[in-house]
Amino acid sequence: MYNTAITKMFGIKYPIICGAMMWLCKPNLCAAVSNAGGMGNLTAGNYETADEFRAAIRETRKLTKNPFMVAITLLPSVRITPEHHKMYVKVCAEEKIDGIEFSGTPLDKVAGMAAVEMLKKAGVKMFHKVGALRHAQHAEKIGFDGVYAAGIEEGGHPLSDDVTSMVLTPKIVSSVKIPVVTVGGIADGRTMAAALALGAQGVMMASRFIATKECEVHENIKQELIRRQEFETVIYGKSIGLQGRGLKSKVLEEVLAIEERHGGFEELIPLLSGQKVKEAWETGDVNYAPLMVGQSIGLINDIPTCKELMERMAAQACESLAKASKACNG
Amino acid sequence: MKTRITEMVGIKYPMVLSGMSWISTPKMVAAVSNAGGLGILATGPLGSAQTLEAIREIRKLTDKPFGANATLMFPGAADNAKVLLQEKVPVINFALGKGDWIVKEAHKYGGKVFATVVNVRHAKRAQDYGCDAVIATGQEAAAHGEDVTSLVLVPHLAENLKIPVIAAGGFGDGRGLAAALALGAEGIAMGTRLMATKESPLHDNYKKLTVEKEVYDTLFSKRFDGILCRVMKTDGAERAIKRGLNLPAAFINSQEIAKQVNIPYFKLFLGVLASGWANAKQLAFMANAFKTFNLATEFGDTKTGVLPVGQVQGLIHDQPTVAELFERMVAEAQKAQAKVNAALS
Repeated sequence: MYNTAITKMFGIKYPIICGAMMWLCKPNLCAAVSNAGGMGNLTAGNYETADEFRAAIRETRKLTKNPFMVAITLLPSVRITPEHHKMYVKVCAEEKIDGIEFSGTPLDKVAGMAAVEMLKKAGVKMFHKVGALRHAQHAEKIGFDGVYAAGIEEGGHPLSDDVTSMVLTPKIVSSVKIPVVTVGGIADGRTMAAALALGAQGVMMASRFIATKECEVHENIKQELIRRQEFETVIYGKSIGLQGRGLKSKVLEEVLAIEERHGGFEELIPLLSGQKVKEAWETGDVNYAPLMVGQSIGLINDIPTCKELMERMAAQACESLAKASKACNG
Repeated sequence: MKTRITEMVGIKYPMVLSGMSWISTPKMVAAVSNAGGLGILATGPLGSAQTLEAIREIRKLTDKPFGANATLMFPGAADNAKVLLQEKVPVINFALGKGDWIVKEAHKYGGKVFATVVNVRHAKRAQDYGCDAVIATGQEAAAHGEDVTSLVLVPHLAENLKIPVIAAGGFGDGRGLAAALALGAEGIAMGTRLMATKESPLHDNYKKLTVEKEVYDTLFSKRFDGILCRVMKTDGAERAIKRGLNLPAAFINSQEIAKQVNIPYFKLFLGVLASGWANAKQLAFMANAFKTFNLATEFGDTKTGVLPVGQVQGLIHDQPTVAELFERMVAEAQKAQAKVNAALS
């Protein structure tokens, strides 16, 4: 039995949370993770209208009675506007969602303290994904329930402070009172045990959940994650102030080449379009669009069900900790 | 404590002092070994006569096991390694090169050889030619790591190797020690944390900065010495990044290096040229970096000096003795484990 601040907050079995993934974190995967005792993720950006979004929440609820998170990315994008952000927050409050993973700009700066208060009143637990202590302190100050400490090894958009999980997690744990969840580099029981030893109350994984039976993505992608090693991801987008980590591919080589010669935003945008990412997940072509995965892909060797994965992680974490305790007391 | 590393080397704590030029000196090596860890002498700035002298000094200061490093890319490193072998140094730690001949000779007298690696390919190769352990350098480490971080690199190596893994990069307290062990490491190596101890010869200006600077106050670039290198973010370091490779300075600095390591300059020059243009350029880069590292560590120059440090500097708040540090870390690790064990029941 796991008994951390996170398992207690949501009444879940394992302190394992699925991270946001555009086009992949939809009702089926979300419910699979929650049904297996973790915290599933429904990524709001998949839905453009309040009706679609609400329908997805209700569909997920049909598939699981357990709690799950909604992920809302508060960043400017071509498709998702600040109006969408406000709509997502409102629907989450109305639907009394269990928890929200925010990332990007702090919620109070996008939608004001009124949004924070509205979610609080609705009993929605709020987490912000941060890459720096100062952002964690801000989340704590405005009344958030926890933070995700995102190390530079994570897939997606790590903060440009570039600090690794091994250093960032203990740094934030020592300086805030709200629970800290480690993101970046987690894929198995050993890495989960390490995060807990660093003071985290839970872990968040995204890449690892792509290579599960329940993830709705082309089989090629799952096989590619097994094949690829931890050094086969790359940071891009530094030149336009929005860095991302993705799987090394022809398209990212091209992106980096454009950045190298200081090509601008206009040249990069067609290569980074979200619509192309959706197509790449569906067709299994890893060279078609940047696929945001983290270094933890080096630790992925199979395609289990979510239940198998989390049971195995829980057992392996206990084993690793027992071995480590023996070393310290020997 | 008891791990495969403590058993192999015969030490109390599986904690290793990284071999840092001008910091891992005989006194510092002895301080770490006397406190129950494994001190590693940095031979980078030493010629073979000075290496011999340093080993004899360590032996006067401690009767505990110790090690010495050999950065095989540097001129004169092979000669230094020969001195280490001839003196039967208990542990030899090599980096940036192929150390198969060192393994062969060290094993003849029962010496152990640790290879410093940044990926599984190098680690497996080191295991294949008989190395006794690897030191796995994560991205967060001071100086020469690569992109992969400790959290991912350590478990990946641990599951792919039979020889023990020593984790380096990001470690400075008991929580980190507990995390490394949970990842499957059999020990940790520390540079940044140990350079800010009472016994460390690092100049006071920089000891103070190490305590003040934050986790994000480092720079990671190829423009210091030609390969990815992490250093403290200072004005001097930012200027060095802007400047990049400066060949005339390399010419002057390499003459100083020749003097320091006691190789006739002509021999050094020919040796470098014979190693090919790519390597010569790399060494010219390193000659300049060497100078700025020296200005920082020995002379405390914060304007032009450059100090390699890891991100863990942001977790350092004091300057304990090495013995205090080790004891505290074990206690903290046990506390961290007790907390997690309580959460698991």
